Amino acid sequence: MSEPINTDKSKRGITRRQFLIGAGVTGVAAVAALRVAGLPYARLQIAEFLDSSGGPPIGIDAPASAWFEIMPDNTVRLFLPKVEMGQGVHTALAQAAADEMEVAWEQLEVVHAATGRGLDDPVGTSASNSVSSLYPILRQAGADMRQMLRTEGARQLARPVDDTAAELGYVFVKAEPAQRRSYGAIVAAAETLTPPEQPAPLKPPAELRYIGQPMPRVDLRAKVLGQAIFGIDVRLPGMLYGAVAHPPTVEGTLKRAAAGTAGSLPGVVQVVIDEKSGFAGVVADSREQAYAALGGLDLEWELGHLWQQAEVEEAVTAGGSGGVVIQKEGSVRGRLREGAAVEAEYRVPMAYHAHFEPMTAVADVRDGSARIYTSTQAAVSVRGDVAEALGLDAEAIVVEQAYLGAGLGHKVETKAAVEAARLSQGAGRPVHLVWSRPEDFQNSFVRPPTHHILRASLIGDGMIESWVHEQASGKVALPFLPAIAGTILGHDFGAWRGARTSYTIPNVETIAWVAELPFLTGWWRGLGLLPNTFAVECFMDEIAVAAGVDPIELRLRHLPAGLSGERLRTALLAVADRAGWNTPTPAGRARGVACCVDYGTVVANVAEVSVENGQIRVHKITAAIDPGVIINPNGVAAQVEGNVVMGLSSALLEEATVVDGVLTPANFGAYRILPLSATPEIEVVLLQGDSKPSGIGEPPIGPVAPAVANAVYALTGQRLRRLPLQLG
Amino acid sequence: MTMNLSINGQSYTVADEPSSRLLLWVLRDELGLTGTKFGCGIGMCGSCTVLMDGQPTRACITPLAAAAGKAIVTLEGLATVGADGAVTLHPVQRAFEEEQVHQCGYCMTGQMLTAVALLRSNPRPSEAEIVAGMDRVLCRCGAHVRIKRAVARAAEIASQEGGL
Repeated sequence: MSEPINTDKSKRGITRRQFLIGAGVTGVAAVAALRVAGLPYARLQIAEFLDSSGGPPIGIDAPASAWFEIMPDNTVRLFLPKVEMGQGVHTALAQAAADEMEVAWEQLEVVHAATGRGLDDPVGTSASNSVSSLYPILRQAGADMRQMLRTEGARQLARPVDDTAAELGYVFVKAEPAQRRSYGAIVAAAETLTPPEQPAPLKPPAELRYIGQPMPRVDLRAKVLGQAIFGIDVRLPGMLYGAVAHPPTVEGTLKRAAAGTAGSLPGVVQVVIDEKSGFAGVVADSREQAYAALGGLDLEWELGHLWQQAEVEEAVTAGGSGGVVIQKEGSVRGRLREGAAVEAEYRVPMAYHAHFEPMTAVADVRDGSARIYTSTQAAVSVRGDVAEALGLDAEAIVVEQAYLGAGLGHKVETKAAVEAARLSQGAGRPVHLVWSRPEDFQNSFVRPPTHHILRASLIGDGMIESWVHEQASGKVALPFLPAIAGTILGHDFGAWRGARTSYTIPNVETIAWVAELPFLTGWWRGLGLLPNTFAVECFMDEIAVAAGVDPIELRLRHLPAGLSGERLRTALLAVADRAGWNTPTPAGRARGVACCVDYGTVVANVAEVSVENGQIRVHKITAAIDPGVIINPNGVAAQVEGNVVMGLSSALLEEATVVDGVLTPANFGAYRILPLSATPEIEVVLLQGDSKPSGIGEPPIGPVAPAVANAVYALTGQRLRRLPLQLG
Repeated sequence: MTMNLSINGQSYTVADEPSSRLLLWVLRDELGLTGTKFGCGIGMCGSCTVLMDGQPTRACITPLAAAAGKAIVTLEGLATVGADGAVTLHPVQRAFEEEQVHQCGYCMTGQMLTAVALLRSNPRPSEAEIVAGMDRVLCRCGAHVRIKRAVARAAEIASQEGGL
C-alpha cells in the first residue's frame, strides 16, 4: 500500500442527483416520464438517471443524541445503523464522528444500533454507500455534539464559552488547561444539552486528527480475542434450537405437512407447521436433536420441473426481442449492419456468496412482541418481514444487529430470521437457528448467470466508431422490489450495473434482457459489476488487438467525459507505472489491464500471469483505486485486497450449476474458493481525485477477472470468454 | 454419565451421551465458548479449528468422545489474563492485530490457531512453508496477503521473546 496521492484537480464536487431504491420513487419517476414520451424512452431515461446517481443515499435525519451516548466514565458510544461485516465501515465512520467531536480514540466504543433508536436505515448496509452517505452526516453530528458539550462545559466551569476549548474528550479553560471537565462529567452534571440552532462549523482540514489516517480497526481487539459477538454467537436464557424443512429442489414447494413422529423424538419441544405458508420446522433442546427430528416430519413435496444447467443458460440469452435499451448515443444502425469489425460473446456463471457464517438468527417472540438478534444487512426488512409472517405490528418488533461473518449481499435475505421467529412463536421461548452449509448454498438466492454479446466497428487510428452490448442476466434487484417496479422498468438496474459503457464512443447501444429463472437470484458483491466488467473490459482488449493499439492507449483515447475521465486517466497511468506496463515481463509471463468507474470510484488493475502445468497462475495484481476522499488508507487497501482475492476466486474457480433441479455443489470442498497458495502479490495504489468519499466495498471487484483474462490472451493467444477461466 | 473436558486449562463437566455429539456444538451451545465458529460442517473451511494436544483440529467433525483426555485450546484461551485482569495477547494475536488482518474476522479463529500450531512445529517458517501450513484454512474476505505477513511477523515476535 502506498501513501494516497491527491489528484483532485476539481474546484467543485460533481453534483449527483440522488434516488431512493423502491417502487415509491422509481415508480413515480417512471410514470411521469411515461406520460411524456412513451415506454422505451422512459426506460432509457430511468437507466441514465440510475447510472448517474452514484448509488442510493440514505435519508437518516436524526439528532446528534441518537448517534452518541456519553457515559460517566467518559466512554463515548457511537451507534451506527450500518453493520460491520468486515468492510471496515465502523472504523471509518468512527473516524469521521470522533474527529469532529474531539474524542480520544481509546474513549470510543462503536455499537450496532437496534431498530427503533431513530436511526432506522431503509437502504440497509449495501451498495458500498455506508461511508459515502454517512460521512457528512456523522461529521456534522460530531461537530454539533462538541459544540453542545463545550457550551455546557463552559457553564459548569463558570467561564465564557470563548475562553474554553474542547479536545480529546475534555472541555478546558484555554488559559488554564488544568481547569477541565470530561465529557462524561459534563453530561452527568447537565440537566439538558441544547442542540445548536445552526449546524456547528466543521473542522478545517489542517485540524483533522483521524480522517485520512490509518487508524486501527475498532472491532479488531474483540475479534482477536474471540469476544466479538456475531449473529451466530447470540445466546439467550432458556434458548432452544431450531431446524426447518427446506425444499429438496429449486422449484420445490411444500404441498402437505404433518408432525408425523417428530413430536415424540428425543429432545423435541415443539413442532411448528403452517401449511399455508409452506412452513414446517422443529424446536428442540439441542441443534442435533432438532435436525434429527426433521426426519420424523410427514412431508409431501411438489418437486416442480427438474431443471438442468443447459436450460438455465438457454433462459439467459441476450439478443432477439424483449430487450430494453438502457444506453443510447448516436446511432449504431448502418454502421454495424454490414458486420462488426469485432464481435464476441461472454458468459458468467452462477456463484454462491459463500460467507462462512451461514444465515442465522435468534428470535424471542413473546406476548405479542418480538426481539430478533441477527446478522443482517437489512434490519428494517427483517422487522417488516417478521411482522408480516407473525401478524404483528412492526412497532412491536426490535431487530438487534450483530457482527456479520461476512454478508456480500446475501444477508439482505430475511428468511432465516422469519423462520426463527415462527419457531419461537410456536415454542413460546427464544429459538436459535443456523442454516447448515447446504441450506445456505441451496436455499436462498445466488449470483445470477449472465450472457453478453458485444459488437464494435472501428474507424482509422484505432478509434471505436460504434459499440453494442447486449446483456442478459437473471434478476438482481427486482425480486426485492414490489412487482410493479419490474413491470415499469423492464430492466433490472442491479443486473446491468457496469454494462453501460463509460467510454466516449460516438455511437453506443446497450440493451438489457431480464431472464426469468425458476429460482431466486439476487445481490452479490458489486451486483452486475463483476460479470459486466468482465465482458466489457475483455472486449476492449479484443478491440485493442484488432486495432493494433496498446490496450491502455485504447482506453486513454476513449476516456469518459469530465472529471471521471481525468481520474481514470490518472489511475491507468498510475497502475501502468507501478506494474511496469512498458517494461518487459519476466520470461513466461504476460500482463493484462482492465478498469472501471463504479459508484463514483475509479479502479484500474494490471494482472501478471503465467501458465504452470496447464493452469493459470496469477503472480501479481497491481490495483490503482481512486475513491475520492480516503478516510482510512489502510481500510481502503484492505478492501481492495479483499476484492482482488474474491474477484480472482470468481475468475479462476467459482461456479454453481443446476443439476436435476438442485443447485450444486452443496458445500465447500466441491465449491472451491481461492486458497492462500493461489493468491498473488497484491499492490494497491491509492489516489484521491475527488473531494468526497465514494464506495470501496464493491467497485474494486470489477476489473480483476478481465485483467487476468486479458493477460492470459497476451500470453497464450487464447481468448477465454467464460468464467471461471479455463485454458483449452 | 458425565465426562471432563480440559479446555483452556479449565475442567468442564459435560454429559457423555450421546458421545457422537460434535465437539463444536458442545463448545458453542453447551459451554458458551462461541469463539469457535461454524462454517461448513465437513471440515473443509477451518473456521471451527481448535488445538487438541497442540494439533489443529476441526471441531465440526470431531465427536465428543475423541476429545476425552485431550488438552483443548480455543481462541478464548490464547491470550493470558493477569491477576489484575490485564490481558496479554499471544504473539500470534499481536501480529494479527499489528498487521490489521481481520475483516469480518469469522475465519480468524482457524487462522490464528493454525498459525500457533505451525509456529510451534516450525518457529522460523519460510514464505512457502507459511503458505503450505495455512493453505487449508479458507478466508472469504480476502485477508490472504495479510495472513501471510502476520504469520511471518508472529514468528519474529516469538523468536524475540524466546519462542511460543
